[in-house]
Amino acid sequence: MSLSAAQPLPDSLLAQARAGDRNAFATLVRAHQGSVFSIGLRMLSRRDAAEDLAQDVFLQLYRKLDSIESLEHMGFWLRRVAANLAIDWLRRLPYSATRPLDEGAEVATQEAEQDPLMSRELLRLLGELPPHPRAVMLLRYQEDRDVAEIAAMLDMPVNTVKSHIKRSLTALRGQMIGAKLVVEDSP
Amino acid sequence: MNENPANHFEEELRRRLRPVEAPEGFTDRLMAALPAQRKPVVVPFTPKVVRRSRLRDYGMPAALAATLLVSVLLGIRVADKQALIAAQAEQEKELAASRELMQALRVTSQKLNLAFEAVNSPPTAGDEENRS
Repeated sequence: MSLSAAQPLPDSLLAQARAGDRNAFATLVRAHQGSVFSIGLRMLSRRDAAEDLAQDVFLQLYRKLDSIESLEHMGFWLRRVAANLAIDWLRRLPYSATRPLDEGAEVATQEAEQDPLMSRELLRLLGELPPHPRAVMLLRYQEDRDVAEIAAMLDMPVNTVKSHIKRSLTALRGQMIGAKLVVEDSP
Repeated sequence: MNENPANHFEEELRRRLRPVEAPEGFTDRLMAALPAQRKPVVVPFTPKVVRRSRLRDYGMPAALAATLLVSVLLGIRVADKQALIAAQAEQEKELAASRELMQALRVTSQKLNLAFEAVNSPPTAGDEENRS
């Protein structure tokens, strides 16, 4: 189970984990596993691949703990590695190895129970975006990161991030309106 | 209150894209996969790895190549110069021969003139006496 964002972690936890305290490391993992797993799930559209990706990301973190400067840096680092690893995996996997979000939608319905059809459709459309715009949208709307942070995480210019967000929003909204899941602008 | 439909859509996205829980037992599986001990970090007294400079890596072959190139260029230049000197010497020889030939022709011409004059000039008294 993940720790909620409302529970700030003590700064000493990082030092303890660096010193080899496995419980401290497990606490750090629990605090971020939801985000990392969700990035994997919504990028790769498969729960098993998302779990593999999350494991890989945390194993890398374990090896690189000494280079992590703070808890905030760790949060940034985890999301950057998860998003880039997912993009990399998508490049290597044949298209047939991923499928649009049936499995992800199942999870999403638990989150937004009031309109499961809309959640399912939204996640399906998100899964159809190319890898980079998809990662940008997840970091913006799932992780609530600003454009400068996203640009640094994905190593792309800020204007490219803005343009991905604008185009993806227009595309998603247009398709949702087409599917009559979102109402058109009222005058 | 913000009634802009675009903003409303963004809010909707945020709400529906909230992170989901990792699968049950994820942390336990991860912890089991971790190596038993983290590698001890020995930083303070390890000397910094000095990267071999490119000059060091490629210096000797580059120097050899440069020497070879300079030698070839010098050789070509010396050969050119020698050819030029030889051509000049040849030209000077030809000029000298030509001068000698002209001189010989001049002398021959003068002698012929003298002979011609001697043949065609009227005989003098002395000549008649000698004849008789």
